Amino acid sequence: MRALSTAATGMEAQQLAVEVISHNLANMNTTAFKRQRAEFQDLLYQTHSQPGAASSDAGTIVPTGVQVGLGVAAGSVYRIAEQGSLMQTDNAYDVGIAGDGYFRIQLPNGNDAYTRAGNFSLSPTGEIVTAEGYSVAPGIVIPAEARQMSINQQGQVQVLIDGQPEPQVVGQLELITFPNEAGLEQIGDNLLLESAASGAPNAGLPGQPGFGVVRQGFVEASNVDAVTEITALIQAQRAYEMNARVITAADEMLAASSNLR
Amino acid sequence: MDNMMLIGLTRQLTLRREMDITANNIANAQTSGFKAEQVMLEAHTDSRARHVDGPNRVAFVDEWALGRDFSQGNLQSTGRPLDVALEGEGFFTLQTENGERFTRDGNFTLSANGELTTSDGSQVLDTAGNPIFLDPAAGQITISDTGVISQNGQPGQQLGIAVFANTSALEKVGNNNFSAPEDAERLVDELPAVRQGFVEGSNVRAMTEITRMMEVSRAYASVTKMIRDADELSRKAIDRLGRP
Repeated sequence: MRALSTAATGMEAQQLAVEVISHNLANMNTTAFKRQRAEFQDLLYQTHSQPGAASSDAGTIVPTGVQVGLGVAAGSVYRIAEQGSLMQTDNAYDVGIAGDGYFRIQLPNGNDAYTRAGNFSLSPTGEIVTAEGYSVAPGIVIPAEARQMSINQQGQVQVLIDGQPEPQVVGQLELITFPNEAGLEQIGDNLLLESAASGAPNAGLPGQPGFGVVRQGFVEASNVDAVTEITALIQAQRAYEMNARVITAADEMLAASSNLR
Repeated sequence: MDNMMLIGLTRQLTLRREMDITANNIANAQTSGFKAEQVMLEAHTDSRARHVDGPNRVAFVDEWALGRDFSQGNLQSTGRPLDVALEGEGFFTLQTENGERFTRDGNFTLSANGELTTSDGSQVLDTAGNPIFLDPAAGQITISDTGVISQNGQPGQQLGIAVFANTSALEKVGNNNFSAPEDAERLVDELPAVRQGFVEGSNVRAMTEITRMMEVSRAYASVTKMIRDADELSRKAIDRLGRP
Protein backbone atom coordinates (compact mmCIF):
# COMPACT_ATOMS: atom_id res chain seq x y z
CA MET A 1 0.00 0.00 0.00
CA ARG A 2 1.79 3.09 -1.28
CA ALA A 3 -0.59 5.50 0.44
CA LEU A 4 1.07 4.83 3.79
CA SER A 5 4.53 5.98 2.73
CA THR A 6 3.11 8.79 0.60
CA ALA A 7 1.30 10.19 3.63
CA ALA A 8 4.48 9.77 5.68
CA THR A 9 6.40 11.98 3.21
CA GLY A 10 3.58 14.52 3.58
CA MET A 11 3.91 14.49 7.36
CA GLU A 12 7.68 14.92 7.15
CA ALA A 13 7.28 17.87 4.79
CA GLN A 14 4.77 19.59 7.05
CA GLN A 15 7.03 18.97 10.01
CA LEU A 16 9.81 20.79 8.16
CA ALA A 17 7.39 23.64 7.40
CA VAL A 18 6.56 23.95 11.12
CA GLU A 19 10.27 23.92 11.98
CA VAL A 20 10.95 26.75 9.53
CA ILE A 21 7.98 28.75 10.84
CA SER A 22 9.05 28.32 14.45
CA HIS A 23 12.56 29.46 13.56
CA ASN A 24 11.06 32.58 11.94
CA LEU A 25 8.87 33.31 14.95
CA ALA A 26 11.76 32.75 17.36
CA ASN A 27 13.74 35.36 15.40
CA MET A 28 11.00 37.95 15.23
CA ASN A 29 13.18 40.43 17.10
CA THR A 30 16.58 39.38 15.79
CA THR A 31 18.47 42.24 14.16
CA ALA A 32 18.39 42.02 10.35
CA PHE A 33 16.93 38.48 10.38
CA LYS A 34 15.51 37.38 7.03
CA ARG A 35 12.46 35.15 7.15
CA GLN A 36 12.58 31.78 5.44
CA ARG A 37 10.05 29.73 3.57
CA ALA A 38 9.97 25.99 2.94
CA GLU A 39 9.28 25.09 -0.65
CA PHE A 40 8.04 21.63 -1.64
CA GLN A 41 8.24 19.53 -4.77
CA ASP A 42 6.36 16.42 -5.78
CA LEU A 43 8.34 13.17 -5.87
CA LEU A 44 8.69 10.70 -8.73
CA TYR A 45 5.70 9.32 -10.55
CA GLN A 46 5.13 5.65 -11.31
CA THR A 47 3.49 5.14 -14.64
CA HIS A 48 0.92 2.36 -14.74
CA SER A 49 -0.31 3.05 -18.20
CA GLN A 50 1.57 5.33 -20.53
CA PRO A 51 -0.23 8.39 -21.90
CA GLY A 52 -0.58 7.91 -25.65
CA ALA A 53 -0.38 4.12 -25.52
CA ALA A 54 -2.60 2.29 -28.00
CA SER A 55 -5.79 1.02 -26.39
CA SER A 56 -7.30 -0.83 -29.35
CA ASP A 57 -6.50 -2.16 -32.81
CA ALA A 58 -8.49 0.72 -34.26
CA GLY A 59 -5.76 3.13 -33.23
CA THR A 60 -7.45 4.73 -30.24
CA ILE A 61 -5.00 5.86 -27.59
CA VAL A 62 -5.05 6.24 -23.83
CA PRO A 63 -5.49 9.99 -23.49
CA THR A 64 -3.78 10.60 -20.17
CA GLY A 65 -2.44 7.35 -18.80
CA VAL A 66 -2.33 6.48 -15.14
CA GLN A 67 0.52 7.85 -13.08
CA VAL A 68 0.76 7.52 -9.33
CA GLY A 69 2.91 10.01 -7.45
CA LEU A 70 5.01 8.93 -4.52
CA GLY A 71 4.54 11.98 -2.31
CA VAL A 72 6.38 15.16 -1.55
CA ALA A 73 9.87 16.29 -0.60
CA ALA A 74 11.39 19.55 0.54
CA GLY A 75 12.63 21.43 -2.53
CA SER A 76 14.40 24.22 -0.72
CA VAL A 77 14.23 26.44 2.31
CA TYR A 78 15.02 29.87 1.02
CA ARG A 79 15.57 33.23 2.61
CA ILE A 80 13.40 36.14 1.61
CA ALA A 81 15.75 39.09 1.45
CA GLU A 82 13.01 41.70 1.73
CA GLN A 83 14.17 44.88 3.50
CA GLY A 84 13.39 44.89 7.22
CA SER A 85 12.19 48.16 8.71
CA LEU A 86 14.90 50.45 10.09
CA MET A 87 14.56 51.03 13.81
CA GLN A 88 16.01 54.13 15.38
CA THR A 89 18.32 53.37 18.29
CA ASP A 90 20.31 56.64 18.55
CA ASN A 91 23.41 54.59 19.23
CA ALA A 92 26.21 56.14 17.15
CA TYR A 93 27.67 52.72 16.35
CA ASP A 94 24.43 51.20 15.03
CA VAL A 95 24.40 51.20 11.24
CA GLY A 96 21.40 50.04 9.22
CA ILE A 97 21.54 49.27 5.49
CA ALA A 98 18.70 50.70 3.41
CA GLY A 99 18.84 48.78 0.13
CA ASP A 100 21.10 45.99 -1.09
CA GLY A 101 24.36 44.92 0.41
CA TYR A 102 26.12 43.25 3.32
CA PHE A 103 28.87 44.33 5.66
CA ARG A 104 32.03 42.23 5.44
CA ILE A 105 33.15 40.80 8.76
CA GLN A 106 36.56 39.31 9.50
CA LEU A 107 36.14 36.06 11.41
CA PRO A 108 38.78 35.10 14.03
CA ASN A 109 39.96 32.30 11.68
CA GLY A 110 40.76 34.87 9.00
CA ASN A 111 37.83 34.07 6.71
CA ASP A 112 35.24 36.59 5.61
CA ALA A 113 31.61 36.48 6.69
CA TYR A 114 28.78 38.81 5.70
CA THR A 115 25.99 40.35 7.72
CA ARG A 116 23.31 43.02 7.59
CA ALA A 117 23.16 43.29 11.38
CA GLY A 118 24.87 46.64 11.98
CA ASN A 119 24.75 46.73 15.77
CA PHE A 120 28.46 47.50 16.06
CA SER A 121 30.56 48.72 18.96
CA LEU A 122 34.18 49.58 19.68
CA SER A 123 36.92 47.17 20.66
CA PRO A 124 39.48 48.04 23.38
CA THR A 125 41.80 49.22 20.59
CA GLY A 126 39.14 51.54 19.17
CA GLU A 127 38.27 49.40 16.17
CA ILE A 128 34.68 49.07 14.94
CA VAL A 129 33.59 45.48 15.71
CA THR A 130 30.39 43.40 15.76
CA ALA A 131 28.59 42.35 18.93
CA GLU A 132 30.82 39.22 18.96
CA GLY A 133 33.94 41.39 18.74
CA TYR A 134 34.76 40.46 15.11
CA SER A 135 36.33 43.24 13.11
CA VAL A 136 34.21 45.02 10.48
CA ALA A 137 36.11 45.26 7.20
CA PRO A 138 38.11 47.24 6.22
CA GLY A 139 39.02 47.70 9.91
CA ILE A 140 38.24 51.25 10.92
CA VAL A 141 39.97 52.56 14.06
CA ILE A 142 38.48 55.52 15.90
CA PRO A 143 41.26 57.56 17.57
CA ALA A 144 40.98 57.68 21.35
CA GLU A 145 41.01 61.47 21.39
CA ALA A 146 38.01 61.69 19.00
CA ARG A 147 35.07 63.63 20.43
CA GLN A 148 32.32 62.68 18.09
CA MET A 149 31.97 60.03 15.40
CA SER A 150 29.58 60.28 12.50
CA ILE A 151 28.89 57.99 9.55
CA ASN A 152 27.26 59.52 6.49
CA GLN A 153 24.96 57.75 4.03
CA GLN A 154 27.90 56.96 1.74
CA GLY A 155 29.63 55.13 4.60
CA GLN A 156 32.34 57.70 5.33
CA VAL A 157 33.37 57.59 8.98
CA GLN A 158 34.33 61.03 10.29
CA VAL A 159 35.49 62.19 13.71
CA LEU A 160 35.88 65.54 15.38
CA ILE A 161 39.12 66.00 17.25
CA ASP A 162 39.74 68.82 19.74
CA GLY A 163 41.74 71.62 18.26
CA GLN A 164 40.85 70.66 14.68
CA PRO A 165 37.82 72.53 13.35
CA GLU A 166 37.41 70.26 10.26
CA PRO A 167 36.03 66.71 10.71
CA GLN A 168 38.68 64.09 9.96
CA VAL A 169 37.84 61.09 7.73
CA VAL A 170 39.13 57.95 9.47
CA GLY A 171 37.66 55.28 7.23
CA GLN A 172 35.08 54.16 4.74
CA LEU A 173 32.54 51.35 5.27
CA GLU A 174 32.13 49.11 2.25
CA LEU A 175 29.15 47.01 1.15
CA ILE A 176 29.19 43.66 -0.65
CA THR A 177 26.55 42.27 -3.00
CA PHE A 178 26.24 38.77 -4.47
CA PRO A 179 24.75 37.48 -7.74
CA ASN A 180 22.51 35.13 -5.71
CA GLU A 181 22.22 36.29 -2.14
CA ALA A 182 19.73 33.50 -1.38
CA GLY A 183 22.65 31.10 -1.89
CA LEU A 184 24.68 32.45 1.04
CA GLU A 185 25.29 29.89 3.74
CA GLN A 186 24.01 30.71 7.21
CA ILE A 187 26.31 30.00 10.15
CA GLY A 188 24.34 31.59 13.00
CA ASP A 189 25.20 34.78 14.92
CA ASN A 190 23.52 36.70 12.04
CA LEU A 191 26.49 35.79 9.85
CA LEU A 192 26.51 34.42 6.31
CA LEU A 193 29.28 32.81 4.28
CA GLU A 194 30.00 32.89 0.58
CA SER A 195 29.13 29.59 -1.15
CA ALA A 196 29.31 28.09 -4.63
CA ALA A 197 25.65 29.01 -5.07
CA SER A 198 25.97 32.63 -3.99
CA GLY A 199 28.64 33.58 -6.53
CA ALA A 200 31.65 35.79 -5.90
CA PRO A 201 31.34 38.88 -3.67
CA ASN A 202 31.18 42.21 -5.43
CA ALA A 203 32.43 45.07 -3.29
CA GLY A 204 31.28 48.66 -3.60
CA LEU A 205 30.58 51.79 -1.63
CA PRO A 206 27.22 52.65 -0.11
CA GLY A 207 25.18 54.83 -2.44
CA GLN A 208 26.76 53.51 -5.65
CA PRO A 209 24.31 52.06 -8.21
CA GLY A 210 23.23 48.60 -7.07
CA PHE A 211 24.21 49.23 -3.45
CA GLY A 212 22.11 50.54 -0.57
CA VAL A 213 22.96 53.44 1.69
CA VAL A 214 23.88 53.22 5.37
CA ARG A 215 22.06 55.03 8.18
CA GLN A 216 23.80 55.81 11.40
CA GLY A 217 21.73 55.38 14.56
CA PHE A 218 19.46 52.75 13.06
CA VAL A 219 19.41 48.96 12.98
CA GLU A 220 17.47 46.85 10.52
CA ALA A 221 14.69 44.90 12.22
CA SER A 222 13.71 41.33 11.39
CA ASN A 223 11.40 41.07 8.36
CA VAL A 224 9.26 38.34 9.98
CA ASP A 225 5.57 39.15 9.87
CA ALA A 226 3.74 37.43 12.72
CA VAL A 227 0.37 37.25 10.95
CA THR A 228 1.85 35.56 7.86
CA GLU A 229 3.74 33.07 10.01
CA ILE A 230 0.75 32.16 12.17
CA THR A 231 -1.40 31.66 9.06
CA ALA A 232 1.29 29.42 7.59
CA LEU A 233 1.50 27.56 10.90
CA ILE A 234 -2.23 26.83 10.86
CA GLN A 235 -2.01 25.62 7.26
CA ALA A 236 0.94 23.36 8.04
CA GLN A 237 -0.75 21.93 11.13
CA ARG A 238 -3.96 21.12 9.26
CA ALA A 239 -2.02 19.58 6.39
CA TYR A 240 -0.14 17.43 8.91
CA GLU A 241 -3.41 16.25 10.45
CA MET A 242 -4.82 15.38 7.02
CA ASN A 243 -1.78 13.26 6.21
CA ALA A 244 -2.16 11.49 9.55
CA ARG A 245 -5.79 10.75 8.63
CA VAL A 246 -4.63 9.19 5.34
CA ILE A 247 -2.37 6.84 7.28
CA THR A 248 -5.31 5.81 9.50
CA ALA A 249 -7.57 5.23 6.48
CA ALA A 250 -4.91 3.21 4.62
CA ASP A 251 -4.32 1.19 7.76
CA GLU A 252 -8.05 0.44 8.04
CA MET A 253 -8.05 -0.80 4.45
CA LEU A 254 -5.12 -3.10 5.13
CA ALA A 255 -6.81 -4.35 8.30
CA ALA A 256 -9.98 -5.13 6.33
CA SER A 257 -7.92 -7.21 3.90
CA SER A 258 -6.13 -9.09 6.60
CA ASN A 259 -9.44 -9.87 8.31
CA LEU A 260 -10.73 -11.62 5.18
CA ARG A 261 -9.97 -14.96 6.71
CA MET B 1 -19.35 -17.76 -8.02
CA ASP B 2 -15.70 -17.06 -8.66
CA ASN B 3 -16.73 -14.06 -10.72
CA MET B 4 -17.98 -12.46 -7.55
CA MET B 5 -14.57 -12.72 -5.90
CA LEU B 6 -12.70 -11.67 -9.01
CA ILE B 7 -14.86 -8.62 -9.56
CA GLY B 8 -14.37 -7.77 -5.91
CA LEU B 9 -10.63 -8.11 -6.40
CA THR B 10 -10.54 -5.70 -9.37
CA ARG B 11 -12.46 -3.20 -7.29
CA GLN B 12 -10.07 -3.62 -4.37
CA LEU B 13 -7.09 -3.03 -6.64
CA THR B 14 -8.55 0.14 -8.13
CA LEU B 15 -9.56 1.40 -4.68
CA ARG B 16 -5.98 0.99 -3.51
CA ARG B 17 -4.81 2.95 -6.52
CA GLU B 18 -7.36 5.67 -5.73
CA MET B 19 -6.12 5.76 -2.15
CA ASP B 20 -2.51 6.11 -3.35
CA ILE B 21 -3.44 9.02 -5.57
CA THR B 22 -5.51 10.71 -2.85
CA ALA B 23 -2.58 10.30 -0.46
CA ASN B 24 -0.30 11.95 -3.03
CA ASN B 25 -2.74 14.84 -3.42
CA ILE B 26 -2.91 15.38 0.33
CA ALA B 27 0.87 15.08 0.72
CA ASN B 28 1.20 17.83 -1.91
CA ALA B 29 -1.45 20.12 -0.44
CA GLN B 30 1.24 22.76 0.15
CA THR B 31 3.40 22.17 -2.94
CA SER B 32 3.71 25.21 -5.22
CA GLY B 33 2.08 24.76 -8.61
CA PHE B 34 0.84 21.25 -7.82
CA LYS B 35 -2.20 20.04 -9.75
CA ALA B 36 -4.57 17.57 -8.08
CA GLU B 37 -5.38 14.35 -9.88
CA GLN B 38 -7.99 11.66 -9.76
CA VAL B 39 -8.23 8.18 -11.23
CA MET B 40 -10.94 7.52 -13.79
CA LEU B 41 -12.31 4.02 -14.02
CA GLU B 42 -13.99 2.06 -16.74
CA ALA B 43 -16.12 -1.06 -16.84
CA HIS B 44 -14.44 -3.96 -18.49
CA THR B 45 -17.23 -6.31 -19.56
CA ASP B 46 -16.69 -9.96 -20.13
CA SER B 47 -18.89 -12.94 -20.79
CA ARG B 48 -19.36 -15.48 -18.10
CA ALA B 49 -17.55 -18.76 -18.02
CA ARG B 50 -20.69 -20.77 -18.74
CA HIS B 51 -23.51 -19.75 -21.05
CA VAL B 52 -26.12 -21.45 -18.89
CA ASP B 53 -25.56 -18.72 -16.30
CA GLY B 54 -27.63 -16.47 -18.50
CA PRO B 55 -27.14 -13.69 -21.00
CA ASN B 56 -25.89 -11.11 -18.48
CA ARG B 57 -22.30 -10.16 -18.89
CA VAL B 58 -20.16 -9.40 -15.89
CA ALA B 59 -18.31 -6.14 -15.56
CA PHE B 60 -14.89 -5.87 -14.02
CA VAL B 61 -13.60 -2.49 -13.06
CA ASP B 62 -10.35 -1.21 -14.47
CA GLU B 63 -8.43 2.04 -14.30
CA TRP B 64 -8.66 3.89 -17.53
CA ALA B 65 -7.00 7.24 -17.18
CA LEU B 66 -5.95 9.96 -14.82
CA GLY B 67 -7.95 13.16 -14.65
CA ARG B 68 -5.78 16.11 -13.79
CA ASP B 69 -7.41 19.22 -12.47
CA PHE B 70 -5.55 22.10 -14.15
CA SER B 71 -7.61 24.78 -12.44
CA GLN B 72 -5.86 27.81 -10.97
CA GLY B 73 -4.26 27.41 -7.53
CA ASN B 74 -4.54 30.39 -5.21
CA LEU B 75 -1.78 33.00 -5.43
CA GLN B 76 0.26 33.41 -2.27
CA SER B 77 2.18 36.62 -1.74
CA THR B 78 5.84 36.05 -0.80
CA GLY B 79 7.31 39.52 -1.32
CA ARG B 80 10.24 38.07 -3.26
CA PRO B 81 11.03 39.70 -6.63
CA LEU B 82 11.98 36.40 -8.29
CA ASP B 83 8.79 34.58 -7.32
CA VAL B 84 6.37 34.59 -10.23
CA ALA B 85 2.96 32.99 -10.61
CA LEU B 86 0.86 32.45 -13.70
CA GLU B 87 -2.76 33.51 -13.72
CA GLY B 88 -4.51 31.51 -16.42
CA GLU B 89 -3.51 28.44 -18.38
CA GLY B 90 0.13 27.95 -19.31
CA PHE B 91 3.53 26.87 -18.05
CA PHE B 92 7.01 28.31 -17.61
CA THR B 93 9.51 26.62 -19.92
CA LEU B 94 12.57 25.04 -18.34
CA GLN B 95 15.69 23.37 -19.64
CA THR B 96 16.65 20.39 -17.47
CA GLU B 97 19.29 17.76 -18.03
CA ASN B 98 16.49 15.49 -19.28
CA GLY B 99 15.27 17.99 -21.87
CA GLU B 100 12.58 20.62 -21.99
CA ARG B 101 10.20 20.62 -19.03
CA PHE B 102 7.25 22.75 -18.00
CA THR B 103 6.23 24.00 -14.59
CA ARG B 104 3.82 26.31 -12.81
CA ASP B 105 6.09 26.58 -9.79
CA GLY B 106 7.61 30.03 -10.29
CA ASN B 107 9.90 30.01 -7.27
CA PHE B 108 13.00 31.09 -9.21
CA THR B 109 16.45 32.16 -8.07
CA LEU B 110 19.61 33.47 -9.66
CA SER B 111 22.54 31.10 -10.00
CA ALA B 112 26.08 32.13 -9.13
CA ASN B 113 26.65 33.32 -12.72
CA GLY B 114 23.43 35.30 -12.92
CA GLU B 115 21.23 32.75 -14.69
CA LEU B 116 17.56 32.55 -13.76
CA THR B 117 16.95 28.99 -12.47
CA THR B 118 14.40 26.99 -10.50
CA SER B 119 15.14 25.95 -6.94
CA ASP B 120 16.69 22.70 -8.20
CA GLY B 121 18.93 24.47 -10.71
CA SER B 122 17.09 24.01 -14.03
CA GLN B 123 17.40 26.96 -16.39
CA VAL B 124 14.33 29.08 -17.02
CA LEU B 125 13.99 29.80 -20.75
CA ASP B 126 12.87 32.95 -22.53
CA THR B 127 10.48 33.19 -25.49
CA ALA B 128 13.29 32.24 -27.92
CA GLY B 129 14.27 29.18 -25.86
CA ASN B 130 17.48 30.73 -24.48
CA PRO B 131 18.52 30.85 -20.81
CA ILE B 132 17.76 34.15 -19.06
CA PHE B 133 20.68 36.12 -17.68
CA LEU B 134 20.29 38.96 -15.20
CA ASP B 135 22.90 41.26 -13.75
CA PRO B 136 22.34 41.40 -9.98
CA ALA B 137 24.26 44.67 -9.80
CA ALA B 138 22.06 46.37 -12.41
CA GLY B 139 19.33 47.23 -9.95
CA GLN B 140 15.82 46.19 -9.15
CA ILE B 141 14.22 43.40 -11.16
CA THR B 142 10.65 43.93 -12.24
CA ILE B 143 8.57 41.48 -14.23
CA SER B 144 5.60 42.75 -16.21
CA ASP B 145 2.21 41.07 -16.69
CA THR B 146 3.44 39.66 -20.00
CA GLY B 147 6.64 38.28 -18.45
CA VAL B 148 9.09 40.91 -19.71
CA ILE B 149 11.91 41.21 -17.18
CA SER B 150 13.20 44.75 -16.71
CA GLN B 151 16.08 46.05 -14.66
CA ASN B 152 16.14 49.73 -13.78
CA GLY B 153 13.34 50.28 -16.27
CA GLN B 154 15.31 48.69 -19.14
CA PRO B 155 13.22 45.87 -20.63
CA GLY B 156 15.19 42.69 -21.28
CA GLN B 157 14.30 39.07 -21.96
CA GLN B 158 10.76 37.75 -21.73
CA LEU B 159 9.76 34.61 -19.79
CA GLY B 160 8.88 31.81 -22.21
CA ILE B 161 5.35 30.62 -21.51
CA ALA B 162 3.93 27.51 -23.16
CA VAL B 163 0.19 27.06 -23.45
CA PHE B 164 -0.91 23.63 -24.62
CA ALA B 165 -4.08 22.94 -26.54
CA ASN B 166 -4.42 19.56 -24.86
CA THR B 167 -3.11 19.57 -21.30
CA SER B 168 -4.03 15.92 -20.80
CA ALA B 169 -1.10 14.91 -23.02
CA LEU B 170 1.29 16.23 -20.37
CA GLU B 171 3.05 13.84 -18.07
CA LYS B 172 4.21 14.56 -14.53
CA VAL B 173 7.88 13.86 -13.95
CA GLY B 174 8.32 15.00 -10.33
CA ASN B 175 10.10 18.12 -9.01
CA ASN B 176 6.92 20.05 -9.91
CA ASN B 177 7.73 19.55 -13.60
CA PHE B 178 5.69 18.28 -16.51
CA SER B 179 6.96 16.86 -19.78
CA ALA B 180 5.10 17.27 -23.06
CA PRO B 181 5.20 15.19 -26.23
CA GLU B 182 7.33 16.74 -29.00
CA ASP B 183 4.36 17.34 -31.26
CA ALA B 184 2.05 18.83 -28.62
CA GLU B 185 0.02 21.64 -30.16
CA ARG B 186 0.71 25.02 -28.56
CA LEU B 187 -1.52 28.07 -28.45
CA VAL B 188 0.15 31.41 -28.95
CA ASP B 189 -2.58 34.01 -28.63
CA GLU B 190 -4.01 33.44 -25.14
CA LEU B 191 -1.09 33.79 -22.78
CA PRO B 192 -1.64 33.87 -19.00
CA ALA B 193 -0.79 36.92 -16.90
CA VAL B 194 2.48 36.84 -14.95
CA ARG B 195 2.34 38.04 -11.34
CA GLN B 196 5.58 39.02 -9.67
CA GLY B 197 6.03 38.46 -5.92
CA PHE B 198 3.56 35.60 -5.80
CA VAL B 199 3.75 31.83 -6.03
CA GLU B 200 0.84 29.68 -7.07
CA GLY B 201 -0.25 27.35 -4.29
CA SER B 202 -1.41 23.79 -4.77
CA ASN B 203 -4.96 23.45 -6.12
CA VAL B 204 -5.69 20.43 -3.90
CA ARG B 205 -9.01 20.95 -2.12
CA ALA B 206 -8.63 19.49 1.35
CA MET B 207 -12.36 18.85 1.83
CA THR B 208 -12.73 16.96 -1.46
CA GLU B 209 -9.68 14.82 -0.77
CA ILE B 210 -10.69 13.89 2.76
CA THR B 211 -14.20 13.04 1.56
CA ARG B 212 -12.78 10.90 -1.24
CA MET B 213 -10.49 9.20 1.23
CA MET B 214 -13.46 8.31 3.44
CA GLU B 215 -15.40 7.08 0.44
CA VAL B 216 -12.51 4.90 -0.66
CA SER B 217 -11.93 3.33 2.73
CA ARG B 218 -15.67 2.64 3.23
CA ALA B 219 -16.02 1.19 -0.26
CA TYR B 220 -12.99 -0.97 0.39
CA ALA B 221 -14.58 -2.27 3.59
CA SER B 222 -17.81 -3.18 1.82
CA VAL B 223 -16.06 -4.88 -1.11
CA THR B 224 -14.02 -6.84 1.40
CA LYS B 225 -17.23 -7.86 3.15
CA MET B 226 -18.68 -8.94 -0.19
CA ILE B 227 -15.65 -11.13 -0.85
CA ARG B 228 -15.97 -12.63 2.61
CA ASP B 229 -19.67 -13.36 1.98
CA ALA B 230 -18.82 -15.04 -1.32
CA ASP B 231 -16.24 -17.14 0.45
CA GLU B 232 -18.75 -18.04 3.15
CA LEU B 233 -21.28 -19.05 0.49
CA SER B 234 -18.89 -21.41 -1.26
CA ARG B 235 -17.77 -22.90 2.00
CA LYS B 236 -21.38 -23.62 2.94
CA ALA B 237 -22.04 -25.09 -0.48
CA ILE B 238 -19.04 -27.43 -0.17
CA ASP B 239 -20.10 -28.41 3.35
CA ARG B 240 -23.67 -29.15 2.40
CA LEU B 241 -23.17 -30.73 -1.02
CA GLY B 242 -20.15 -32.73 0.05
CA ARG B 243 -22.08 -34.40 2.89
CA PRO B 244 -22.64 -38.08 2.14
